Amino acid sequence: MTKSEYLTEYDGIAKTIQMYIDGSRQGKSALMRPAFHPDASFFGYAGEQLAAGTQFLFDWIDKNGPAPDIEPRMISVDILDSIAVVRLEVAGWSGNLAGSGVRMSDLFTLLKTPSGWKIIQKAFHWHAAERSRAA
Amino acid sequence: MAERNTPRKTLESWKQIAAYLDRSERTVRRWEASEGLPVHRREHEKQDTVFAYSHEIEAWSRSRTKCPGITASDLAETVSTAKPPANGYLLEHDAITRTMHCYIAGARAGDSELMRPAFQPTATISGYCQGVEYSGSVQHVFHWIDQNGPAPNISPRFARIEIIETIAVVHLEVQHWSGKLAGADTRASDVFTLLKCDGEWKITHKLFHWHAS
Repeated sequence: MTKSEYLTEYDGIAKTIQMYIDGSRQGKSALMRPAFHPDASFFGYAGEQLAAGTQFLFDWIDKNGPAPDIEPRMISVDILDSIAVVRLEVAGWSGNLAGSGVRMSDLFTLLKTPSGWKIIQKAFHWHAAERSRAA
Repeated sequence: MAERNTPRKTLESWKQIAAYLDRSERTVRRWEASEGLPVHRREHEKQDTVFAYSHEIEAWSRSRTKCPGITASDLAETVSTAKPPANGYLLEHDAITRTMHCYIAGARAGDSELMRPAFQPTATISGYCQGVEYSGSVQHVFHWIDQNGPAPNISPRFARIEIIETIAVVHLEVQHWSGKLAGADTRASDVFTLLKCDGEWKITHKLFHWHAS
C-alpha cells in the first residue's frame, strides 16, 4: 500500500465510522445502516443480557433517541489490505435507554467492498456506570 | 542438582509422544493446541518435525489445567494441580490464547472438529478468497478446513491481543499455509473477535485476508 492509498483507505474507514457516530448522536438508525454490511453481526453484553444481531442495535438506537453529548475517539485503526479493525471509545452516552454519562468501548471489524468500507461486526462492552463528570 | 545430570529423553515424533502418554496422536495434538503440551519444532525446508522432552512432558502432566473443548475422558485423567497466574489480566489473556490454539490445531491438522469448541455456534466469517467474498456462517470455515486437509507447516503468530472486559480482538498472522485449497506457502491475516460467554472466551467472528503469493 502506498502512502496515498493508505490515506484513502483510512479516510474511507473513518467516513464509515462517522455514519455510526452520526446515527448514535441523533438517535436515528437510518443514518448508520449504510455503514453496515448486509451480513453484519453485533455482539455484547448490556448488563447481564447478551445482545446480538444488528436489528437489536438499530432498534436500540431508535428507542434510545438523541445522545447529543457523546464524545467519540478512534483509539486504533488497523488496516490489512481488504480488512480493518477500529477500536472506538465513546464517552458521555445518554438517552432513554443509555441513562447518562456512560461509556462504551466498541470494536468494529470492517471489510472493503466495491461500495466502500462496511462494518461486518460490532462488538461492544458497556462499562458499568462511572462518574465521568465528577467535579 | 541431580536433575541436571539426568540425561534428557527426547521423543522424536507425534507417534513417540503419543506412546509416551499412552494416548492417540490425535489426542496429544489436541493437547498441544489447547492445553500447552510442550512440543517443539525443528524447521526444515519441506516440513517441520516435532520433538518433545520427557521431563517437560512430565512437568506438564503435573500442572495440567483443564481447557475448553476437553472431553469427559480427558477430564478423568486430569491432574488438577493447576497453578493459574495470580494476575486477573493474565488469566484472561491465557484463556484467549487457549481458545485460539484450538483454532490453530484444527488448521494445522485439517480437522475442523479440533477448532469447533473455539467458536460460538452463531459465529460468522467474512473476507475474500481468490477475489470472491465469503460472508456468512462459520460452517464455511469448518468445511474449508476439512477440504483443505493438513497444513503442517503453518507458523502462527499473535500480532495483537486486545481485551476490553467482555470482548477481545485477536490479530493472528499465519504464514506457510498449505493444503488442497490453500495452495503452497501462502499467508493469511486473521482478525478474530471474541466474547466472554458464561466464563469462556469464544470466537464470534473471523475476518480474513489472503495475501497474494
